[in-house]
Amino acid sequence: MALAVFDKIGTAVLGAMDTFGDFAVLSGRSFAAVFKRPFDGKNLLNQFNSVGVNSIPVVVLTSLAVSMVFAVQLAFGFRQFQAEGLASQVEGLAVMRELAPVITGLMLSGRIGSAMAAELGTMQVTEQIDALECLATDPIHYLFVPRLLASMLVVPLLTVVSIYVGFWGGYLILVGVEGQSAYVYGNEFYKLLAFRDLRIAIYKSIVFGMIIALVGCWKGYRTYGGAEGVGNAPTSSVVTSSLWILISDFFLTKLLLV
Amino acid sequence: MPLIDVVNLSKAFGPKVVLSNVNLQVEEGESLVVLGGSGTGKTVLLRNIMGLLTPDSGHVSVEGKIIAQLDREELFQVRQSIGMCFQMAALFDSMTVFENVAFGLRRHHKMTEAQVRARVEECLSLVGMKDTDKLKPAELSGGMKRRVGFARAIALKPKILLFDEPTTGLDPVMTDVIGRVILDLKHELGVTTITITHDLKSAFEIADRIALLFRGECLACQAPADFKANPHPVIQQFLRGDADGPFLQDPPPPKRKSA
Repeated sequence: MALAVFDKIGTAVLGAMDTFGDFAVLSGRSFAAVFKRPFDGKNLLNQFNSVGVNSIPVVVLTSLAVSMVFAVQLAFGFRQFQAEGLASQVEGLAVMRELAPVITGLMLSGRIGSAMAAELGTMQVTEQIDALECLATDPIHYLFVPRLLASMLVVPLLTVVSIYVGFWGGYLILVGVEGQSAYVYGNEFYKLLAFRDLRIAIYKSIVFGMIIALVGCWKGYRTYGGAEGVGNAPTSSVVTSSLWILISDFFLTKLLLV
Repeated sequence: MPLIDVVNLSKAFGPKVVLSNVNLQVEEGESLVVLGGSGTGKTVLLRNIMGLLTPDSGHVSVEGKIIAQLDREELFQVRQSIGMCFQMAALFDSMTVFENVAFGLRRHHKMTEAQVRARVEECLSLVGMKDTDKLKPAELSGGMKRRVGFARAIALKPKILLFDEPTTGLDPVMTDVIGRVILDLKHELGVTTITITHDLKSAFEIADRIALLFRGECLACQAPADFKANPHPVIQQFLRGDADGPFLQDPPPPKRKSA
């Protein structure tokens, strides 16, 4: 009985190490392949388009919704202490440091990470990745690198968009509904912020972009089992990357605020 | 020295032994057809030759280079001299026919766009697929996809062509068309070919030698006439296409008498 339990635990630990090792190796190969030739500019531009331009509406809408609902809660909370003026300061702090990078990361893991997993998964089960190999093309270089670069560049840019939209989301509620002065809101929003906060948000979003692309590509690349496998890859990619975004957010916050 | 040398090749997936001590030699310019039932390791053999799988024991060498011992760059060099035609074509579905055929040329040759276009048109006309360059794979029929796959495989002017069940799932007429295309490619390009097929008609047309894989082992590798005359019961059963005999592991359902 005890042996069977140890056996199961051992198998699970070995399986987890195997999975993590595989991810680490593929990630390492992806970064090593960034500097390899040939440089495929057209492929990279396509990825910028699908990762970046097509994600703008999703990021704008979610950032607006989250910043507005956060402003509603802040206004309610600070009203209990007759400190409504603080709401805009905390709104600025929350949007810049946490809401914008995390919401952008989570939304993009759902939008682009899953798309990457589904696309590469389909390519895997239809032997298109083997065809790349047979045409003497490294799939890591051809498929992973453009997605990784696009994601690491575009997620920070969309995070900046999210911060900007977050400002106006708070404005709509605190100025438009709660009746605060627009001038005061404009000043107070940035009061607790420093340039360092924007830098932290950018650093975080670069890491989130990296997680989204690597997890999405890895889950797609390791797809097996036909249609069922292709169906599971995006789900698994979104769950894994969302989890890692939230976990890494905690450690990055602790690390970067020191 | 044979161009492709398969020496004591064994490969298993978990407990299932797919190839067991297979030996095959293919000379330059020769056309080998590999026959065998489903799941007997024919595709695994091709994937070992391409270096997509690593043998458990034994080895495959191409032009004297042992595939499993090559590093990635050396392997890619060897792969440029081999054209692989996949069972379901494996065309890149996000690209047009032109982009599919031009893919290898653009990545491995410093050619002008005009040269690439000329070579793509040449390859497409060799497989009878002229004027389809703007179509996407989703707009092609099964037989057209296979032929575009052939065009993509020959674009880099390989010395070796590997065909993985090129006629599976096609109607008899299209099967004949594909057989003719393979024959044309063999004669016009003078390449060494290994073809995996279940279609005996085209197998006997294409082959200089025919091999039969049975339960992971190579039962015979002979000239078509000798293969036909081989008295081995498995070979004779395969040639007859009869369910009764030693070929199947599980006995087939009994034949119903027609009323």
